[in-house]
Amino acid sequence: MHWSPAPKEKSHGHGGHGGHDRHAGKPFLLHAGEGAEVQLMSPSKVVQPLTLEHGRVSVKAMGTGNYHALVAKRSVGDLHESAVRYIYMNGKPSGVSPSLLIGHEKSALEIEPAPLAREHWRYYSNTDAQFIVRFQGEPLAGAKVHMQTGNGSSAEFAANTEGLVTIPLPEDFTYEKPGRMANPPSEFVLTAEHHVGTERHITTFSYGYHINPEHWQPTELGLAVIGGGMLIGGFITLRKRRRREKK
Amino acid sequence: MPIWKNLSVIRKFVQLLAFLFLVYGSVFVGFYSADKLSGAFPVLSCAYDAKTADYCVLIPLQHQLGHGLGPAIAAGKFTLSLLLPILTTLGTFLLLFILLNKAFCGWLCPLGFFQEVLGMIGQKLRLNRTESLDDNLVDRIRPAKWLMLGLLVILLPLASGLGFVGHELGDPFCQICPSRILTSLFAGQLNQLYIDTSSTGYMILSIIADLLFGLILVLSLTMRQPFCRICPLLAMHALFKKVGLVKLVKNYTSRCDKCGLCAKACPMDIREIHTSKEKDILMPDCTLCGRCVEFCPDKGVMALKYAVIPIKVSDPAYFKERNKAQKRWEGKQKPSRRVKKD
Ligand code: SF4
Ligand code: SF4
Ligand code: SF4
Repeated sequence: MHWSPAPKEKSHGHGGHGGHDRHAGKPFLLHAGEGAEVQLMSPSKVVQPLTLEHGRVSVKAMGTGNYHALVAKRSVGDLHESAVRYIYMNGKPSGVSPSLLIGHEKSALEIEPAPLAREHWRYYSNTDAQFIVRFQGEPLAGAKVHMQTGNGSSAEFAANTEGLVTIPLPEDFTYEKPGRMANPPSEFVLTAEHHVGTERHITTFSYGYHINPEHWQPTELGLAVIGGGMLIGGFITLRKRRRREKK
Repeated sequence: MPIWKNLSVIRKFVQLLAFLFLVYGSVFVGFYSADKLSGAFPVLSCAYDAKTADYCVLIPLQHQLGHGLGPAIAAGKFTLSLLLPILTTLGTFLLLFILLNKAFCGWLCPLGFFQEVLGMIGQKLRLNRTESLDDNLVDRIRPAKWLMLGLLVILLPLASGLGFVGHELGDPFCQICPSRILTSLFAGQLNQLYIDTSSTGYMILSIIADLLFGLILVLSLTMRQPFCRICPLLAMHALFKKVGLVKLVKNYTSRCDKCGLCAKACPMDIREIHTSKEKDILMPDCTLCGRCVEFCPDKGVMALKYAVIPIKVSDPAYFKERNKAQKRWEGKQKPSRRVKKD
């Protein structure tokens, strides 16, 4: 069971900016989530129950902006499942740090981003992302975390003694054209599982990640142009000095 | 002079602490500290630095105009509530700004500090420095900061949101901002140092950014605060300077006419502080560094005040000591090669 953004319905009105309509909710899809209880949690941990319609929910900021948590939980017999997704929403400043919401125990087994890509940041391919796996609030040493990406990569990683797991987000995009617009994001899903006696806990964390812009943003060229700027600076300085000395 | 009495040394120390806090602070106060602190800080501390403790007011401003207000107006969906985020950003900025006024520049900005440190290196390397720029040149440069603010922070982002210009110009100041490159490099990231080859627009902007950064690196060695003179925040601060609690005041005396040491000491070449007969001499270009007060030799003529409380008042004894300390620090200037040849 995991969350993903629901495919966009045809945007109407102003081309290209349909996604920025502040009054329409953001739609999300819960995969394999029949019978799950769903709720949205605000940055200050206020909870709002939501109802799934054909596996979809539409979420709006609850009074303030910043990260909200979309949480789905289901318990059948000995199996306890949960799916968590953080959603950044624009709006009034919440006045609280997202760490309050992220650190709050939303399900017994949970994958906590450490940290979550902040506003103005994203998860990028070919970079490391870190998470802490917790069980009943405590770090789970050695926890196994499975990663699956929308581009077809999968791998398994183990947490260290502090429950910290580093996930190298794979460079698995097909790169053809440069630019953010030409390279839509994909999704990655992390799954952790933990057994206590006969009880099984499974949780997922899902989020979008983008192709690393280093493909079209070469550092070497940047360095060369800075060198050019320095030369111009040197030239200006020398010319100024000559002029002054002529006077 | 004991260094703890030297206002410039105290200021450098504060600047260093501010630099560490703004460039690396989130490591100590939490990754999301900007959400708690302001997210609209009145200096160029950069959101693209992954370790920053708080980021500058210009990024939310450009994004709110370019992604919020502009597209909404274009779609015919303008409501007053759309102004709310912009007003919140400006309100947060103002709440902080009232506390320190333009002293944010002179005391807390990482880029301001970096330029000063390069200047000090230039002094130690005995480079032939231009202490004061030509009056004409200063006058010609002054409007640039307003252009940077009006065009790059307000008009172009709005025009991009409205669909008149490309999305490259959605946050054009951030695209060319030298503090983005500086602070991210200091935070150990190379990802802000690039030429963007994805479109002509992005390429031009990234070339400007890197050229500008290179220029600042070299010019700062021999010239005081080269970027500050065209910084959009300097202009934004100027708009609100009347409401800030820190004041720069002068009690003009006729002795001022023959002196002018304050203007010479001013890193922003504000000659008006010498000629003005007004009480409030906080000029649009001032960074409230306090050097003019330090280098005024006349008792009580110049003062830095917090509301009505004097923090630093000019004083002949301090001036003498300070001047000596300055001479000791600078050492003897080496005459330039050309002069030697003659
Ligand atoms: S790039 Fe410059 S203007 Fe933009 S957030 Fe960073 S410091 Fe502020
Ligand atoms: S004017 Fe200088 S000190 Fe002030 S914000 Fe700009 S770069 Fe920083
Ligand atoms: S006027 Fe005084 S306080 Fe302002 S920048 Fe110049 S020297 Fe500094």
